[in-house]
Amino acid sequence: MIFPKVTISEIIGLLEAVNDAGGVEDAARLAGDFDLELDEILPSIDGAELLGFVEVKNGNIELTADAKMFLELGIRDRKKIIRDKVKGVELIKELRNRLLESDEQKMKKGDALKFINNNISTNDSESYFRIIINWTRHAGLIGYNSDAEEICLMAEK
Amino acid sequence: MLTEIRGVSKTYESDGNKILALDNINFQVDDNDFICIVGPSGCGKSTLLRIIVGLEKPTCGEVFFKGEVIAADNPKVAMVFQNFALFPWFTVKENIKLALEALGIKEKEQDEIAGKYIKAVGLDGFERVYPRELSGGMKQRVGFARALAVEPVLLCMDEPFSSLDALTSQNLKDDLLMLWAEKNMPPDAVIMVTHNVEEAVYLANRIIILSRRPGKVMADLKIELPRPRNRKDPEFYRWVDKVYSLIV
Repeated sequence: MIFPKVTISEIIGLLEAVNDAGGVEDAARLAGDFDLELDEILPSIDGAELLGFVEVKNGNIELTADAKMFLELGIRDRKKIIRDKVKGVELIKELRNRLLESDEQKMKKGDALKFINNNISTNDSESYFRIIINWTRHAGLIGYNSDAEEICLMAEK
Repeated sequence: MLTEIRGVSKTYESDGNKILALDNINFQVDDNDFICIVGPSGCGKSTLLRIIVGLEKPTCGEVFFKGEVIAADNPKVAMVFQNFALFPWFTVKENIKLALEALGIKEKEQDEIAGKYIKAVGLDGFERVYPRELSGGMKQRVGFARALAVEPVLLCMDEPFSSLDALTSQNLKDDLLMLWAEKNMPPDAVIMVTHNVEEAVYLANRIIILSRRPGKVMADLKIELPRPRNRKDPEFYRWVDKVYSLIV
């Protein structure tokens, strides 16, 4: 499984930039506008695609109807959409299921790193862990207690 | 008028030489002003901001806030820093509550106010997280929440986006503008220092351009671009060019 190493803020930044360009933009031009190398901007494009916010065709990035609607919303309403979107990401679905099945709906960080290693081919599970927690905290789905080194399901609001 | 910067100059002494950093700066800040101070590095713009919030004394001249000489502990003025300035051993919520505790607000009320501004900047879910676990963008959101929580009349920001990656910075600027557009949100006016001209044209309704050292006000421009602004708009670029031509 591939998981893009990018934060939710970067993904939203990308959507805003594509929106400024009229809803469709060339990946190379976006990279140029932000003074990024193409491979530096790719993770945010992958992330936006994974969340169903953009479609990528022949190097062009096009906002989906969901993204256009999302960009019309304020900070708090956007959070709800992020929650629904992140909930649908396969890897996170799987991680939530593991937590639901476990005692007290918690998991040690070490086990979470193993889970990441088993699902993403990487030798850098630590930074993927940070990214996944960035997504799930944004979404209010999975939190991390760094004192106890445990991840846990967050209460539904 | 909210704030008046009147005849402010600043001289430093270095190896017995006197260096003039700021030279007779004058301008006023009104309600609803979103002012960006731009200028080349070393023009003294951060020094000027520190003088405006009362953290540094001018060599001559004065800064008035609502008719009174500004004091460093003025609770109606808040600051956002480039490097976030968070306490690493406190959580997100504790960092925000600390600013409220300093104002003598009771614990229960601190909780409510901190909660309100954590939500406003989209940090809910991160309340009990330590700064080391946050990305730069999230750290600066804490910086915003902490500054807004004291419900300041004047918000001062020193290069708040310059240590963030380009996409995060874009997202944070748009969120800041959303908060600014909300009528029931503090502050009444913003002064932001930046060296990024595009950023200034994107955010400000007034741009004050400082010259190279010693910093003098070269121009005070009203940016008459409707919001939301679009960086791809040719009119936007005309303003960016105009500001550049005044600096160079």
